[in-house]
Amino acid sequence: MRDPYEVLGVSRDASDEEISKAYRKLAKKYHPDLNNGDDYSTKKMSEINNAYESIKNGTPFGGGYQQAYNSGYTGSGSFNFETVRKYIAVGQYIQALNILGNMRDRTAEWYYFSAVAHAGIGNRIMAVNHAQMAVNMDPSNDEYKRVLDLLQNRGRTYQQRSQTFGSFEDIGTMCVRFALLNMFCCWCC
Amino acid sequence: MFGYVAANREKLNEDQEKYYKACYCGLCRTLGKEHGAKSRITLNYDMTFLVLILSSVYNIKVVEKGQERCVAHPLDKHDYWYNDITKYASDMNILLTYFNFLDDWEDDRSLLALGEAKVYHKEFEKVEKKYPEKTKLIKGKLKELSLIEKRGETNPDIPAESFGEILGEVFAYKKDEHESKLRDFGKALGKFIYIMDAVMDFKEDLKKERYNPLITVPSNMFKDILNILMADCTEVYESLNVVKDKELIENILYSGVWMKYELKKAKEKEKNHERSL
Repeated sequence: MRDPYEVLGVSRDASDEEISKAYRKLAKKYHPDLNNGDDYSTKKMSEINNAYESIKNGTPFGGGYQQAYNSGYTGSGSFNFETVRKYIAVGQYIQALNILGNMRDRTAEWYYFSAVAHAGIGNRIMAVNHAQMAVNMDPSNDEYKRVLDLLQNRGRTYQQRSQTFGSFEDIGTMCVRFALLNMFCCWCC
Repeated sequence: MFGYVAANREKLNEDQEKYYKACYCGLCRTLGKEHGAKSRITLNYDMTFLVLILSSVYNIKVVEKGQERCVAHPLDKHDYWYNDITKYASDMNILLTYFNFLDDWEDDRSLLALGEAKVYHKEFEKVEKKYPEKTKLIKGKLKELSLIEKRGETNPDIPAESFGEILGEVFAYKKDEHESKLRDFGKALGKFIYIMDAVMDFKEDLKKERYNPLITVPSNMFKDILNILMADCTEVYESLNVVKDKELIENILYSGVWMKYELKKAKEKEKNHERSL
């Protein structure tokens, strides 16, 4: 992974505000939603996101990056994932997340453990987001798929019930109602 | 941020629609009586929903019913109903509106927002006196949320939960055996509202380089996430064992909350279709 400060185009002593500004400028440029979802922007956005997060989390990429890079630090080993697994097994999710936060490489396995730990502390969104990342990076892994399914299932059950109310009617009437809804009192129709 | 928790009127029968409308009108009338005519324009559907759900959980018998003409409907008389919960909801309405105006002033330096905040300051102080603990807690949470957003938090659960706690406090009507479940329900609903708002503002926020909690989440996951959050909310709802107005409430929770989202999607689809022609 490249030097995150280089990715964002900021100096090492940039303020938090400068870093955020730089990040959002790049997000505007490369976010797939504003670039027809092409592959290049998706990859670029991932790089930018990782850089931003590692600076904010002060991971070995971040503050200690130069040192870690120079000393030939090779990133997470299986030893660290064992520790993470143990913490998760006893419900110490925050400790697990702390260890994960200090790891350099974001592999599929990293995202899997992160998803499980986040699920443990009720971070629904991070959990499903990272579970999806794990599956995307390693589609052949059944365990990753199982966790993703588990997390998404409750949403699907709700969605089914939601769909029994039928689809929303034609836009025409909805638009009128909506314009009125945003004004004070819309019961004139 | 407000206005998502409304009913899908297309799917209500005539009686349900009349009842829902009369609840809304009762809240409007109460706002006017308690906080002056000017406060009626701050009325929103989310507080109407608050009246419905609390009235159901506490099994309140309707206190007052009536018919009147009002400023918005000077020609025909229309039904209204209200109870003690309506009074409480009108107070919460003032609280949230006041903070909302302050928020807009802070964010956009909108003079209009500052002006509005000043207009409601007196009413806000009245409510603050009545509910000092609640006001303090909500103020604190709003400050916390502001800091979270300012530091560019990329974990969307964190600001969503912070906002959720605000709504949880609003739904926790009294310190009694219902408090805990109502608070959890409000929290879950608040989390959904915050993320739904972020989803709706996403593209604009990207373009304007503003903070959006979902910036590191791929947008093809948004719908799944929203469904999961509503699943959490309706799970707590089920534990409330609501009987009164069950159908109306479920219309809102399973269908109504998606209206703005679906409308936006449909509009975008039409736009894209026109472009490709």
